[in-house]
Formats: sequence, C-alpha cells, structure tokens
Amino acid sequence: MKVTICIGSACHLKGSREIIAQLQNLVKERHLEKQVDLNGSFCSGNCVNGVCVTIDEKLYSLKPEDTKEFFETEILGRL
Amino acid sequence: MGVTVDVAYKSLNKFTEVLCGDKVELLQTEDSNIMILADGMGSGVKANILATLTSKILGTMFLNGATLEECVETIVETLPVCQVRQVAYSTFSILQVFNNGDAYLVEFDNPGCIFVRNGELVPIPQNIREIQNKKINEYRFKVKKGDALILMSDGTIHAGVGQLLNFGWLWDDIADYAVRQYRVTISAARLAAAISRACDELYQFRPGDDTTVAVMRIIDRKPVHLMTGPAQDAKDDRGMVDDFMSGDYTTKRIVCGGTSANIVSRILEKPLKVTLDYYDPDIPPIAYIDSIELVTEGVLTLNRVLKLLKRYVKNEAVTEEFFLELDKPNGASMVAKMIIEDCTELQLYVGRAINSAYQNPGLPFDLGIRQNLVEQLKHTVEEMGKKVSITYF
Repeated sequence: MKVTICIGSACHLKGSREIIAQLQNLVKERHLEKQVDLNGSFCSGNCVNGVCVTIDEKLYSLKPEDTKEFFETEILGRL
Repeated sequence: MGVTVDVAYKSLNKFTEVLCGDKVELLQTEDSNIMILADGMGSGVKANILATLTSKILGTMFLNGATLEECVETIVETLPVCQVRQVAYSTFSILQVFNNGDAYLVEFDNPGCIFVRNGELVPIPQNIREIQNKKINEYRFKVKKGDALILMSDGTIHAGVGQLLNFGWLWDDIADYAVRQYRVTISAARLAAAISRACDELYQFRPGDDTTVAVMRIIDRKPVHLMTGPAQDAKDDRGMVDDFMSGDYTTKRIVCGGTSANIVSRILEKPLKVTLDYYDPDIPPIAYIDSIELVTEGVLTLNRVLKLLKRYVKNEAVTEEFFLELDKPNGASMVAKMIIEDCTELQLYVGRAINSAYQNPGLPFDLGIRQNLVEQLKHTVEEMGKKVSITYF
C-alpha cells in the first residue's frame, strides 16, 4: 500500500512533519514496513483543508491529532 | 578566456566599538570586478566615516574611468581633517580584475596584498609612485584561474601584539597561514573567515583594532538558475521551464517550490522523488529530479535562505558556526550554500501565480510573499558582489 503525505508549504504549516513522524512510528511498532510504503509529495493541489494524504490515489485531509485514528481505520482497515 | 571572481570579506570591530573603521566596497563594471578596502584613521564613528568616504569616492571615480591621480587628489581634498591629529587620513587598497585576466593593484599604506598561485606565495614587486606626497604602490599583472588575492587592514598584522605575540602577527606568518588555508578552502568566504578567525583568536576575542580580510579568488563562471513559483498563466509553464533549463554544463539549477517542482517534473518527463527526512523542523524535506541539482519547498525555505544570506552580507557572526549551519543538509542551508559558495551569477525565474489557499488567515505564516522574498534575495545577492537578474512569468 502506498501512502503519500504532502510536505508542501501549506501542508507543512498544518503539521505534515508530525503526521509523518506518527505514521512512521505506528508502521514501525507493528512491523508493517513491507506492507505500508510511506512517501512524500509536493503540493497535491488541495491546500485549503488539512494535510493532504493519499492512499493509493484516494485523497484524505488530515489533522495531526487524527493520525492514529486514520492509521487504524484507513490503513489497518485496508490491509 | 573570460575570468570570473569569487569575492568575500570579513571585518572584526575593535573591541567595544559598534562601527567598524574599515570599509570594503565590491563593484562591477561591464568588463571588470573591483574590490576596495579602506582603513580610516582611529576607530569608531570617525574612522568609519573616513573609510566609507574613501572607499565610496574611489569606487565611484573608478567606475567612471577616472585616473588614479584624480582619485587620490579628490580623497586628499575631501576627507575631513582630524581635530586631534590635524590630518585627513585613510589607507586603501584597490584590486581590479578584468574579464580578460588583466589585473591592477593599487596599495597605499595597508599591509601588502597576499597573492597565492598554485599553492605558493607570489611576491608583489615594489613600483612606488608619489601622488600628492603619498607613496603609492602600483602593480599590473595577469591573473590565472585558481589565484587568490587577499587585501587586509593593519588590524591583522597587529593581532596579538603585546599579548600573545611580541610584535603582532607578522605579515610573513599571515601569508604562510593564508597559503595553508588556501589549500583547504574552496570559497573566498571560507578563506576570509579562516584568516579573520585566526586574528580574533590572537586578539583573544577582544580585537585591539578594526581588522578586515577581503579575499578575491579567480574562478570559472558559475551560473546558478533558480526557479520559484508557477507562471501566472499555465500556458507559460513550458516556456518558463525551457528558459530555466537553458545554459551549459556549468549551469547549476535549483527549484524552490512544490508546485514548481511538479511542473518541472511534468515538462521534463522526469519523476519527482520527495524525501521524508526532516533535518530541521521548520524546513520541509528536499526532493530530487534527475538533472536538477536541488529541489526544495518554496516560500518557507526561501525565507530561511534569505535570513542566512542577510546574516552573511551583514558580516555579523560569519564564524565557524555560520559555516556549520551552511553545511547542514536541510533545503535552506543547501540553497544558501550554493548561492554563497558555488555561484558567480544568479538568474531567477519567478512565477507570479497566486495560490488562493495561501490567502488563508488561519495559517501561521504568510505564504503569499514570494515576490517580496525574491526582490530581497536579489538585493542581498547583489551586495555579495554577484550578478543577479530576474525574469517574471
């Protein structure tokens, strides 16, 4: 599964770094490195909402505090 | 063959003084680069005014093609006379290097220029001319790629006098140190910083005199193209990228901006690979596009770049720590380092498109300041003695 997090200017200010750090930890904790491929991207063109995160082309808008829930429902839920 | 120069200087103020009594002017004519170092008598405000007047007069007159005699005459007649010493006095050195390799050195009462070629010290012959009762040394020669020329104020040779060293740091010893540093440093900035740092240490960080080291290294042209922001009209994307990609194998290219990077990647049909490695919490990670030297996020990175360059130009705190900061692997340090150390002319390709999402007052930083940053960047890099041009799209 390919998960892409936008690190463009606007997303950076809305907390991409924190989301990336949390996701990296969660993936590591559950030893999912082989299944979940975390990537960066520049501006996904949806700067108005939260941080842009895409899973296999599907776009989500995330806040740092929602990362864990997102991981459990969207990422674990799809594995 | 045309030669280009890399110029940089570093001044230390006399301990407790707010103003420096030495002044360096970096100028460019159509076919030459000029570096002037003036050292005003005394210290503080008075010395600063004398040195500033001297370097500005010399610079302005030289630019307009005045002869050395005319320049010296004007200085003698213009400088205010010191109440205490009843003389008007500022020493100076002028170094002019033409694009065809001709060089012209003029020295009046400063410590002699240190000339390094192929890692060896080259003696500068005495050829003294008297103008207005001032003994002025003139030297015409040819420079070659790799040469380094160092102008200094006498604060350098007085470093440590009566404290760590009986007679200060002797010229021969400074020259010896400069030759060694020449071999281990690449840029003018690092060579100037190394010598000035040594002076500061000999003064035990309390300089007894204003101390300035100005370095010119003869190098190949190093053009840098920097693209930032998408074009106002998306139809111009291709033209913008074509211009940005122009140049030859010596041209280095930087893209600052997420959308810009996507555009370059699309038009060049080369994939954009974005990393997730944060080396600095405030600067987004860098990315890679094949054949582009450096790809970074836009406004946040440029804002930091500008801060670093301003710090460098203001000559404050350009110490080892500054270079350590410059060597960090975050996008902003990498861009600043390339502009300071690996660039003789900067060509900016700037898109005027406005991202409506940036108008969001909920963001903690005004992202809509690209053009303002670019203008400031231009002025700052020009102050570093480099050519800058901007093309808007």
